[in-house]
Amino acid sequence: MVIVLGLIGVGLTRINAGLYHQTVAQVTHVQTTDRNTTTDEFENKDKTLVQMVTVRVLNKAHRGRTYRIKNTYTRSGAMDQPYRVGDQVFLRIPSSQHNAVTIQGLKRDTALAFVAWLALALLLLIMRFSGLMAFLSVALNAVLFYAAIQIDLATNGGHIYLLFGVLAVLFAVLTLWLVLGFSRQMVVTLGATVAGTGLAVIISLIVFAVTHERGVTYESMQYVTQVPRPLFLVETVLGSLGAVMDESTDIVASLFQLKTERPDIAPRQVFKSGIQIGRSIMGPLINVLFLIFMADTFAMTLLYLRNGNSWGYTFTMNMSLGMVQSLISGIGIVLAIPVASWLASRLMPKEVVA
Amino acid sequence: MNTITVLGLILFGLMTLIGGKTGATAFLSLLFNFGLLFLAVVLISWGFPAMGVSLVIGTIILAFTIFFGEANEVAAKPAYMAALIVMVILVLIIFPVENWIMAQGFSLEDSEDLEGMSLAIGVSFIGVAVTEAILSTLGAIAEAAIAIAAGLSEILAQHPQLPTKRLYIDGISIGKQIIGTTFNTLFFGFFGGFLALFIWFSGLHYSFGSVINNKIFVAEVLMVLFSLIGVILVVPVTTWVMTVQHRQQVKHRD
Repeated sequence: MVIVLGLIGVGLTRINAGLYHQTVAQVTHVQTTDRNTTTDEFENKDKTLVQMVTVRVLNKAHRGRTYRIKNTYTRSGAMDQPYRVGDQVFLRIPSSQHNAVTIQGLKRDTALAFVAWLALALLLLIMRFSGLMAFLSVALNAVLFYAAIQIDLATNGGHIYLLFGVLAVLFAVLTLWLVLGFSRQMVVTLGATVAGTGLAVIISLIVFAVTHERGVTYESMQYVTQVPRPLFLVETVLGSLGAVMDESTDIVASLFQLKTERPDIAPRQVFKSGIQIGRSIMGPLINVLFLIFMADTFAMTLLYLRNGNSWGYTFTMNMSLGMVQSLISGIGIVLAIPVASWLASRLMPKEVVA
Repeated sequence: MNTITVLGLILFGLMTLIGGKTGATAFLSLLFNFGLLFLAVVLISWGFPAMGVSLVIGTIILAFTIFFGEANEVAAKPAYMAALIVMVILVLIIFPVENWIMAQGFSLEDSEDLEGMSLAIGVSFIGVAVTEAILSTLGAIAEAAIAIAAGLSEILAQHPQLPTKRLYIDGISIGKQIIGTTFNTLFFGFFGGFLALFIWFSGLHYSFGSVINNKIFVAEVLMVLFSLIGVILVVPVTTWVMTVQHRQQVKHRD
């Protein structure tokens, strides 16, 4: 039922042009008029093509009108793309007649909604209620995230450490509360998460100070509109937070389980078991973050390599920040293991015996 | 010394201290994965087709992550099989979607970084986008597959005569336990790293409509969604691989 409704929702994004402030148009006809082979200074061969795109406007004042627009694109399509019949695009229609109408970009909401629908449908089909809870927690976190960004902008990034530090703790509280409910187990997990992440930050700040941040190229950070260094640290903390929570949850849950099964177990033994469990989780978990952080840099790295830069320079400019991020997260993930095990062994309820 | 080297040494030390031999090999797998990732970019830049490169490199990365991180071989083998199956299914989803949505390459927001660069490099950026998407999902797939396979093999060790139907129910129930926290790993992993971009969007007052059609935003959300789909699919697939294997072992014994 929900799934069918979702699919109808996806379909509706094809005809939601009325909701947009921008002018939306649909491509009705495409004709390739010219093709050229180009070679750049690094001997990269590419094809440049020109197509005449006929579009019919779907909303606003110019609704129903058709325009013929010239679109130049390359085969590789780094910044440009060909348009196909049926694509919906955003148009800029200048008020004066002399300027040409241009295509600003593809309307991607239908495809995006489709993939989101696919993920949600699978989630509900296989996980039922648990899937819904997982989704809810992500949605609530997204709202918090949005609110924090607004506050950050309002204060012009002045209190970024404080703001996102508080936010990170809030994230952890909210997420763990949704997963575990409010219990002693949740408090232990929360403690481990905050302590693990905090220790990782302290260690990295010390390393930064000792090595004078050599090889950390803040200037290569993308999309920066505020002071890069704090932004980078905050990104790293937020990025690793989920993984540290994930791990602490697993360890603490297993240890509480253990305590229920063997109420007479000694704290020392609990600690040992915790380390044991952590061992097998940490490797894959660090790899999860590592691959996420590094995959993002792929396109730019490729561009650097093809523009005749050396491997070393390409790495420094594109991958080094992702690497530092992965390493700091990794340290957080590893440190959370003894912290979680120790906290669990100390704070486990003794009255379980009864 | 370089900051990266020092941080790397600290991580290695901590992993060995806490994880012993498993920790040391896990660190090694991280190094190998980095090498493979870089190799993938270099191969594509030499003109090898992105799809082929991502499938081959993906297969190897999964192997390193799963076999180096997990000491228990009974769990590692079915986990690897399941992860491979899920990777192939994901490729079948990712490839058409990336061709449809065209969120490849760079956007206007990247202009500053692109100054002085030649963009016409003759490599299909759609292919690169597919590679990025596939590689970014692998870690999550591997992690979930290991968690489920390890849980199920534990159950099987204690109750070797468990009927396959029961095993399937157990698999899904382990999946339910891990899915919530795995979602958070992915959510924070992706969005934490894009804080700067979101501040940019809000600071320049992008409308909701512009954001959800923005190339970089769409590419990023797609990667999260693909990873989610991967993790969700891992649950039934791993359970299925385990049941098939279990059935064969039972037959052997008779």
